[in-house]
Amino acid sequence: MRLLLVASAAAIALAVPAAAQIETEIPPPGESAQGQVSVTIYNNELALVQDTRRLDVAAGRSRLEFPDVSAQIRPETVTLTGEGIGIVEQNFDFDLLSPQALMQKAVGETVTLVRTNPATGAETRERARVLAANGGVVLQIGNRIEVLRDDGLPVRVIFDRVPAGLRARPTLSVTVESQRGGRRPVALTYLTPGLGWSADYVALFDEANGRMDVQGWVTLTNNSGTPYNNAEVLLVAGSVGGGSIRPQPYGVRRGATGQIRGAGTETADRERLGDYYLYPLPERTTIANRQTKQVSFLNVSGAPARRAYEYRNAWLHSANEPESANTVLRFSSSRNQGLGDALPAGTVRVYQRDARGNPQFVGESPIGHTPMGSDIGLTTGQAFDVKVQPTVERRERVSSGRWRTTMRYVLTNARSEPVTVDLVQSGLWGDTRIAEQSQPGERRSADETVWHVAVPANGEASLTATFDTRF
Amino acid sequence: MVPRFRGGKAEWLALLLLSLPGPLTAQAVVTSPAPDRVAVTVYRDPDRPADQAPDLSFLDGYALVSETRRITLPAGESEIRFEGVAENILPRSAIVTGLGDGVIERNRDAYLLSPGTLIERSLGHRVHLRRTSAATGEAREEEAVIRSGADGALVLQTAAGIEALRCTGLNETVVYDGVPAGLSPRPTLSVRARTDAPLTATVTLSYLASGFDWQANYVAHVSDDGDSVNLFAWLTLANTDSTSFPDADTQAVAGRLNRDNSRVPPAEARSIDLSCWPAGTTSDLPEEEFERQEIVVTGSGLMAARAFAIPAPPAAAPPGAPNAAMVATQEDLGDVKLYRIPEPVTIAANSQKQVAFLTRPRVAARFVFRQTVAPVARASPAPARRFMVARNRAADGLGVPLPAGRLVLFEALEGRPILVGEGTMNDRAVGEDVEVDLGEATGVATTLRPVGAGKRERDFELVVTNDRPVPVRFEASLAGGEVRRASARLSRRDGMPLWTVTVPANGRATLTYGLSTP
Repeated sequence: MRLLLVASAAAIALAVPAAAQIETEIPPPGESAQGQVSVTIYNNELALVQDTRRLDVAAGRSRLEFPDVSAQIRPETVTLTGEGIGIVEQNFDFDLLSPQALMQKAVGETVTLVRTNPATGAETRERARVLAANGGVVLQIGNRIEVLRDDGLPVRVIFDRVPAGLRARPTLSVTVESQRGGRRPVALTYLTPGLGWSADYVALFDEANGRMDVQGWVTLTNNSGTPYNNAEVLLVAGSVGGGSIRPQPYGVRRGATGQIRGAGTETADRERLGDYYLYPLPERTTIANRQTKQVSFLNVSGAPARRAYEYRNAWLHSANEPESANTVLRFSSSRNQGLGDALPAGTVRVYQRDARGNPQFVGESPIGHTPMGSDIGLTTGQAFDVKVQPTVERRERVSSGRWRTTMRYVLTNARSEPVTVDLVQSGLWGDTRIAEQSQPGERRSADETVWHVAVPANGEASLTATFDTRF
Repeated sequence: MVPRFRGGKAEWLALLLLSLPGPLTAQAVVTSPAPDRVAVTVYRDPDRPADQAPDLSFLDGYALVSETRRITLPAGESEIRFEGVAENILPRSAIVTGLGDGVIERNRDAYLLSPGTLIERSLGHRVHLRRTSAATGEAREEEAVIRSGADGALVLQTAAGIEALRCTGLNETVVYDGVPAGLSPRPTLSVRARTDAPLTATVTLSYLASGFDWQANYVAHVSDDGDSVNLFAWLTLANTDSTSFPDADTQAVAGRLNRDNSRVPPAEARSIDLSCWPAGTTSDLPEEEFERQEIVVTGSGLMAARAFAIPAPPAAAPPGAPNAAMVATQEDLGDVKLYRIPEPVTIAANSQKQVAFLTRPRVAARFVFRQTVAPVARASPAPARRFMVARNRAADGLGVPLPAGRLVLFEALEGRPILVGEGTMNDRAVGEDVEVDLGEATGVATTLRPVGAGKRERDFELVVTNDRPVPVRFEASLAGGEVRRASARLSRRDGMPLWTVTVPANGRATLTYGLSTP
């Protein structure tokens, strides 16, 4: 009896008009609605996109939609400018079309059910009203109440239309007021994360002559989810943004400024805006999604460079066995006797020729944004043959508020030439005084003193220092 | 047959409505599907710091929604159901006016129609059990009585005896004859009212709803001479409620209001989760359960669909300064500031809206480099930070209340605007200083060296370097002790000695000073 009822319901259902089309136009693949695109990329995974499109804007009020913007667009940063155009409001709608949203919006509406007979594959249609969509869909079919697909049998639910307001993807729209109608360039500007760049340096160090050749490459990456076609690209050396709003992306370490030993005051021969250096790409280029692009920006040969050794001891640290000193590549970014350029933050990879003349990798180090004229010391690794063993020799209380600490540092050199080790004792902030020392040192900062200790070839040297401290 | 109840007051009421004879059952149900006019006032999340943009997948601010509805009531007692209210309504905050003394009580029913509550409410009732043969496709129905609640199993009494639903391996389901009373598809606000004569009234319903937030987004363009900015500001409103408010009179309130932590009790809507006896095989895999998970549209699934991955957003940015055709106006409301959008706009479900509220073409502003210098372990050389500094007064081209938000700063390069800074601003009243930290500088840095130490004093040399071809203004706050002497005149700011200096182009400036020993 009930089967009969189902059949008659199906007959009614067939009379229902075909489902309405989704009104959005779908552009053919490969075609983009982008116009003339300029992209300004910052070091901290942030980019400014300017997209000038030729749009037909009607006189009076109209609503403009913008497809092909970055998938990660920060909607509140959007600005639209154009001749004679005033902005009424901007909207970013993210009520997305999904099976759940469809069903939720259909509560109270009528839908079509198509049941497939599990044995014969025959289809029967019937109309049903959606009563509720909470933890399961409750349907009214005729005067029966059922739960959708509760018995595990295949049932298709066909909706008559997409409910108003549900969208395929987050949609940006701007309502504008225009004094006149007609086609004109309209500039859309917005910020997006997902585009970033850093510098990569290749340094070929010639130790015998104390020179090095340096090539600098900018590496830009696009993970924003959208390609930028035929774009004018400008790279800005710097991270825009106050406070610690966003964590620094991996790989761009601002804390790497310890590599600068003296900040420079020279201005490089490059375009500049405010505090930032600008690196424009020479011609328009397409940045595809998930693409990494490299462009050369620096090529210096024969810049003076030398190898140095550095050992930094923490306050009151005694080592049980000798510890390797760091190998440090020292050079300058000044116009005279240096690279002659400002260095945007990135990674320096150091190569050195082996006995056969082949370049071998000898270590890498990150650098921060480095002004021209700076002294740079890159820690590239740890020396095999040069070691230091620090020892706290004596620590005594001289009065209620003062302590005296005697440190001994033993430096060894297994190389067949003499070396000089920059021995740094840190942790001296406060009112620490050096009461005695076996050779004069240099107080480099409030926290550190450095001694330049010469260690003979295949030999040993030692240094003692006594510190007068409050603690 | 009277169903058994375990719930609270609302259900008891529903039970009374269902079962009692007399005037109560004569109650008419009047449904008001949507408001005629609506006004929305959005309040910020009081606990969100200014440097954190609203998270569009979870907004913790709120809104006051005021609706007008035209309702016709028959004489006697009636229940008015308000549909189309915000999903995240705080029912206790609702105010209904326009019905005079007629209001008897106000209810929010959150015992929702769902597969689980259907079973729960049908306990002891006669239902139909439909079994479909997988071999022939034939569906058969027989009568059954539900003998267990919906908690984990469904036991039915059929003509054959006692059986458990879907422990049979057959395709089977329960078909009901009707929806039990008192179950609504969505949480519903209703009012029970009594009138002596038929009445057509304009009813105003006001309530608070969560799931809204707003912030200001400032866009500043540096003028060509570099001593002023063009300041533009957006009112950025966001709504994650599933209800749209078309053509709403829209306001936003800046200021901090006290709020108690009042949580809306969650609506009860159950899916069915059936468990069976061991199926008598060597492997006891709950295959039926897996099938169920495919079918059931759970509440948490709906939540997940809404919380799609959207980039964490902060500030606003334009090229040539934008031109606003509609500007929100500001008025004082007690101790807070109210921003009113002059025309009705649509606050759509799951959307963010921006309307301009401030355009000031010339605001005097300075750009300075700042640092707090203390004799502690620090990066050396340590980069300074760049600040935009302005006074919020009419003489400087500003002089309006500035609600908290993000600021982006642009500077033109050959006609093309380039972003040169991004920062945060707290609420700033008229007359206050506006200082925005734009980020770390790349070319201005300081080095601090001790140059001597006496019994009561430590001497330091502070060197600031500038790699730019123009002089820059640098301000250092000296921390770490009392300044005994200094090689330059110091002022004070925020209780700390302040050294202000103009660093020459491509040059350096030096200060030596003595700090008292701690």
